[in-house]
Amino acid sequence: MAFLQLDNLCKRYGAIDAVVATNLAIEQGEFVSLLGPSGCGKTTTLQMIAGFVDVSSGRILLDGRDITHAKPSSRGLGVVFQSYALFPHMTVADNVAFGLRMRKQPEAEIRRKVTEVLALVRLDRHAQRYPRELSGGQRQRVALARALVIEPPVLLLDEPLSNLDANLREEMQFEIRRIQSEVGITTLMVTHDQAEALSISDRVVVMQAGRVTQVDEPYRLYEHPRTRFISDFVGKANLLPGELDGAGLPQVQHSRDASLTLSLRPEKIDLLDNGAGRLQGRILTRYFLGSQWLYRIGTPLGELTVVRRNDGSAPLGEGVDVGLDWQPELLRVLAADEVSA
Amino acid sequence: MSKNGPLALTFHSLVVVFMLAPLVVVCLVAFTPENTLSLPTAGFSLRWFEAVFERADFLEAFKNSLQLAFLAASLATLIAVPAGLAITRLQFPGRDFLNVLFLSPIIIPHLVLGVALLRLFALLGVNGSFTWLVLAHTVVITPYVLRLVIAAAIGVDRSAEQAAESLGASRFTLFRKITLPMILPGIAGGWLLAFINSFDEVTLSIFVTSPATQTLPVKMYVYATESIDPMMAAVSALVIALTAVTMILLDRVYGLDRVLVGKH
Repeated sequence: MAFLQLDNLCKRYGAIDAVVATNLAIEQGEFVSLLGPSGCGKTTTLQMIAGFVDVSSGRILLDGRDITHAKPSSRGLGVVFQSYALFPHMTVADNVAFGLRMRKQPEAEIRRKVTEVLALVRLDRHAQRYPRELSGGQRQRVALARALVIEPPVLLLDEPLSNLDANLREEMQFEIRRIQSEVGITTLMVTHDQAEALSISDRVVVMQAGRVTQVDEPYRLYEHPRTRFISDFVGKANLLPGELDGAGLPQVQHSRDASLTLSLRPEKIDLLDNGAGRLQGRILTRYFLGSQWLYRIGTPLGELTVVRRNDGSAPLGEGVDVGLDWQPELLRVLAADEVSA
Repeated sequence: MSKNGPLALTFHSLVVVFMLAPLVVVCLVAFTPENTLSLPTAGFSLRWFEAVFERADFLEAFKNSLQLAFLAASLATLIAVPAGLAITRLQFPGRDFLNVLFLSPIIIPHLVLGVALLRLFALLGVNGSFTWLVLAHTVVITPYVLRLVIAAAIGVDRSAEQAAESLGASRFTLFRKITLPMILPGIAGGWLLAFINSFDEVTLSIFVTSPATQTLPVKMYVYATESIDPMMAAVSALVIALTAVTMILLDRVYGLDRVLVGKH
């Protein structure tokens, strides 16, 4: 049996189904992300696990113990909130020590643990500051330290990085992963940012309209999105009409009434000279992304997005005619969306 | 800090002058050596201040007022804090009714309340009782505390409370260690506002005080209806001075912004 298990978890608000029959099994030490657009039920799911939201039906099992209806204070889980949720009237050290004081641990023990965990999140020199004197990133580290210090069986992160600016967000992503692997704690993170989910999770759970639509390792999720929605939400995707050929391989069809939708990632398309390749097109616009060039190319199959590495050579200009080519085995067949987003 | 245009500046100056000018006049008149409220005055004298301190009944009334305001404001706070939290946090039938009920003393004229309470106290046989005077004041000043408590409670970050719960805090510990400290500026501001309102109250108090429980404003009102002399100005000046000193001390110790605006 998995360490943290959700069995047919449901949450209804009146006539609205916020979370529908969610099943999930998380192994000990695993880092799992709940990914989805806002309103998909991911935060509600996390809040049910934390105990802040009542469960309508289904069960939550932690290490074999049924905690479905346990009080939040008796679950002993570590929770990190989007707003940091620090106690404004307490110093960093007191914020972190709060959970240990609730557990009535001896003061010397508390001091030792607080020092230790503040070193882990690299805030040892800010112990006597108040939250208002810290930057956003530092506050998030305090929140993390406060959740970790009670040595919870599971760490729950609710959009932990969405209040940080882009540079800091990337830095904190890796920081969270570093701390998580150092402590070896089972972690469930809620996020709407696919890059965040892909970069630091062991597995990603995609949710849409209250349902889990795909659970996979980040690489597999990106390379084999199951539905149209997922291929679009996780990374960028070119959607092409297609059919299966005699060998059962997907092939792009030029007719509009093709029975399948195929997905092709922008970086999987090669740009060749005009006339070569499988498809002809003209570069409509060009965007510079630093490490990459992004081209929007008009083709008989519609506008396609192509990403090329910035390898130092001159980029193609707008208005240039090009040939497009790809490896047919990189085409993915998408299932129709079973839920509308 | 944004700069004000000349029009806004003029308007603000006028408001300040309009509010402060009468107080300045009262304070100046208090130092007159003459027997009437005259301004400009012929000289400078402290005779009317001496007169105040020779009047034991005024000192007694002042003590009554302080006691009354302190007790009523504290009692109002004890009622308003749980009421404010219940109104902002819980969904229960009659919640809106309760909210309006708590506000109604502000809407009902104090004159009407005074007459009603006088009649009620007569029926109960408690006319002139200090305890019942405290209760009457509590009723009329609770709305002020309640408003500020509600404002503070709405501003509290609920996830901080959830964080405390997840860290193992019981309901009571949560309130004592997290919620209460976070709404404390609102509570302190509400208490202060209630204290000032109680200390200031005349209309209702006229009906429900007896000579033994007479408050300073009632005493002044009664005195002023009989004779107008500069002693009233002296009493007023003293009250103004006391209020100003209290405010300055509070600002130095705690910060008025924190008490009245709830800034951290």
